[in-house]
Amino acid sequence: MQQLTFTEEIVLLALDDKTGAQLPLPVTALGYGLAGAVLADLAMAGKIDTDAQQLTVLDPSPTGDPLLDPWLALITAETNPRSVAYWLSVLADRRQEIEQPALDRLIARGILKRQDKKILWVIGLRRYPTIDGHERTEVRTRLGQLILGEDLPDPRDATLLSLLRGCRLTDNIFDGPEFSARDQRLATLAKMDLVGREVAVATTEAIAALSAAMIASVPHM
Amino acid sequence: MEIIESVVNGTPVLTLRGRLDGIAAPAVEEKVEALLPTTPRMVFDCSGLEYASSAGLRVFLATAKKLKTAGGRCGFAALTPSLREIFDISGFLDVLEVHENLESATA
Repeated sequence: MQQLTFTEEIVLLALDDKTGAQLPLPVTALGYGLAGAVLADLAMAGKIDTDAQQLTVLDPSPTGDPLLDPWLALITAETNPRSVAYWLSVLADRRQEIEQPALDRLIARGILKRQDKKILWVIGLRRYPTIDGHERTEVRTRLGQLILGEDLPDPRDATLLSLLRGCRLTDNIFDGPEFSARDQRLATLAKMDLVGREVAVATTEAIAALSAAMIASVPHM
Repeated sequence: MEIIESVVNGTPVLTLRGRLDGIAAPAVEEKVEALLPTTPRMVFDCSGLEYASSAGLRVFLATAKKLKTAGGRCGFAALTPSLREIFDISGFLDVLEVHENLESATA
């Protein structure tokens, strides 16, 4: 089977194995995670490059992947130099347009199925249970071994771990005392990709802003 | 960017000068891929490397990973202050073999 893109992997790993419901994540975290995944896919395809200051388009020609090409066209159309943080913000605001095509492709690949339910006969609930858990198991095992061991990651695994930690998915995927004891190792691995680091910053800032807004909305006693 | 290939104390050395960005990275990758089947050990002389983008860092990490997987080693010698800062932010100082100078890297 053709390797999953980062976007597909983040979508897949953000779902509960059994129920197909989205794992509990801070508001906006998955949006930034998916935005980062799109940028990481474009970087791996040699279409963009990044540094601490800005994102640069290396090759504006389409990748041929409909999950990525609309976003490459959007980035290419921008005439001013923009930072990774800027593009994360733009893409996170369009999370549904990233997530739904990725879910559709995972269904087409035979990895997920769509399941519509009604709660109290009225409220619609759509979930994506797993049909073939091979991909998810394989990536969890590989990344888990990387966290628990001392091996160097290859760039792809470093990026995926960085994205997963940036949007707080590692807390759900790698739980248990053996992983808690390796928090420093995970932090080191997660630093290795710039886009993943920026996803972490954006997620943390969004959570802080939301907390501040909630505190401000509480009437003073 | 300039890429100079040499052998120091029996170790293949790639001396990089200038900026290792997404434009330059494929040329470095090509040199590395040509060297990999011939040696278990490689050193990047970074004394003239002022900058590495994400694409450049990926070439470094991929090279180190491939050599380590094959039972070899990859050294990074004489980092400029700006490159050391990039390595520090990226956690590369913690996981890669970084040397103060080319002599110790090829010893």
